[in-house]
Amino acid sequence: MMELFHNLGIGLGVAASMAGLGYCFLGVTLGTLVGVLPGIGTMATLAMLLPITFHVDANYALIMLAGIYYGAAYGGSTASILLNLPGTATSAVTGIDGYPMAQKGQAGLALFVTAIASCFGSMFGVVLLSLFSVPLARVALQFGPQEYFALMFLGLIAASLIGSGRSIRSLAAVTLGLALGLVGLDLNSGVARFTFGMPEFFDGLPLVAIAIGLFGLPEIIANAGRVVRSSASAKDISFRSMLPTRAQWKRTAMPMLRGSAIGSFFGALPGTGGVVATFISYATEKKISRHPEEFGKGAIEGVTAPEAANNAAVQSAFIPTLSLGIPGDPVMAIMLGVMMIHGILPGPSVISDSPDLFWGLVVSFVIGNVFLLVLNLPLIGIWVRILSIPYNLLFPVIVAFVCIGIYSVNYQVMDLFVLLAFGFLGWGMKALNFEVAPLLLGFVLGPMMEENFRRALVISNGEVSTFLARPISGTIMVATFLIIGYYVVQGLRKVLSRKMVSAESHNV
Amino acid sequence: MQLLKDRREDLIAGAVTAGLGAFILVEAVGYRLGTVRSMGPGYFPMLLAMCMCVLGVLLVVLSEPSPAEGETDKSQFADKRGVVMVTAAFLAFAVLIERAGLVPAVGLAVFLSALANRATNLVTAVILAVVTAGTCWLIFNLALGLQIKAFV
Repeated sequence: MMELFHNLGIGLGVAASMAGLGYCFLGVTLGTLVGVLPGIGTMATLAMLLPITFHVDANYALIMLAGIYYGAAYGGSTASILLNLPGTATSAVTGIDGYPMAQKGQAGLALFVTAIASCFGSMFGVVLLSLFSVPLARVALQFGPQEYFALMFLGLIAASLIGSGRSIRSLAAVTLGLALGLVGLDLNSGVARFTFGMPEFFDGLPLVAIAIGLFGLPEIIANAGRVVRSSASAKDISFRSMLPTRAQWKRTAMPMLRGSAIGSFFGALPGTGGVVATFISYATEKKISRHPEEFGKGAIEGVTAPEAANNAAVQSAFIPTLSLGIPGDPVMAIMLGVMMIHGILPGPSVISDSPDLFWGLVVSFVIGNVFLLVLNLPLIGIWVRILSIPYNLLFPVIVAFVCIGIYSVNYQVMDLFVLLAFGFLGWGMKALNFEVAPLLLGFVLGPMMEENFRRALVISNGEVSTFLARPISGTIMVATFLIIGYYVVQGLRKVLSRKMVSAESHNV
Repeated sequence: MQLLKDRREDLIAGAVTAGLGAFILVEAVGYRLGTVRSMGPGYFPMLLAMCMCVLGVLLVVLSEPSPAEGETDKSQFADKRGVVMVTAAFLAFAVLIERAGLVPAVGLAVFLSALANRATNLVTAVILAVVTAGTCWLIFNLALGLQIKAFV
């Protein structure tokens, strides 16, 4: 316990310094701004702002980038509630009940409980992060390549199967992502793989360009022709109208807690993240609610639970990232990339080697969430007004910043062509009903997975059973196979029942 | 024939998956495979490629009639003008950034992407392009000192 306070003291020294507070505030403000504006995802913002962080000390760079990430989780719900235009993918669920609430004249209330639920979920995640990261990192110091491979395998399987209606497609997308991750020089042999003679690709494909190509570009293009102006006006939302009644407080307490728990779990699992967590927590609330018929028509639980889940997931995603060095989602991969740019090697030793970085980040989360409460409750009017800036003037500026951001990562023109290529790949995948998120996750984990797979088999002298023989990796592998088995059985059932139906219809 | 047409989406998805798998397989076998004990650069890609081929075949074998048209979201790229102009904007930036410098590259990219929206007229687009290019010069060249020349 004393150790924890000591560590938090170290963190306070970093996060509560003038620079720490400044970058934290800058990060959460930009994050909220981006979250509010439909059409720019978190990835695009990170890319736009990466050039700034190259000049800043690693601690502050990460504090700011993290602030953008969880700030966007707050802001995303605002547009979702007021306009039914989710600012980020994870806030789509919030709109299901948030928008009907706004139509009933409860916009203020919806925004208020969203902010409270977001803050609660975040704090829940931060507590877990500060409690579990250190022991986990300590255990992880004993991890061999078998454990790392098993963890990543579990993450990829979970990401592609859980919460996806099209398992085979998701698995195919993950596999393609893994293969794309291998592009570049093979570190062991020096062979250039899948580079087709282009030296620009020797270091691998550029993560930021791929991520924005897959997620950001389709969104920018889809919204490019949009003319609609927001109808929301800041006048409707007085602070008085935002406050819930006592009965409403009561109705939100448990969903908030359940949402936080679900969110933390899926956030900490590498591979699944906010999106899965919000959908599952929404479904859970609907299932156990005493009045499920209200869901979709403005149920307050339908707003608070997913928001808490989303923010808890955002914070707990830092657990595997910082204590194991395994990024759970593409944003975390960018965080690790920034660490590497600043000369910090991600892995279980980060927490003990640079306590100021880890604990500074933890404390900055708490401070940042307090900033966000202020930004999103008393100052909500500002964001609502920003929503009414004509989008046709805004998005060309976004295009320019994205261009500069991507180019300035490596100063390679090729990265811009990669962006366009992956934009079209993402479009093609959508047209064939593939999800792009698993592909990106596979891309991020590809090189690490191969490296650990190879090393594990070198150590074990080519015995594939080594993954099952060690207690920790064995347990993880068995859990993974159970998940796969469950989905195979379900799939078979579906196929069989379809055969039966078609056989019957032939008889008739 | 109707059977194939109904299942078009799954069949194409499966064929593309298997095709990509086959392509990766051919490439991977071209690198040294090595053994399980000491894997060469081709081993892991080969495993991935085989997975993709299997998944592609599964998609074809298990193909179902796709749901009625309109249920799937195809509106993403429906606006042709948006696609063309935004693509042109990124291409313009890529072509100009090293040949002409930051200010012309940003200016043209903003001008082109502004025209993707029918509500924006030429004059607005020009003003927006000039203002954005100037602001970018201030932020990235003067304030941040990025390694990009404003003009070449």
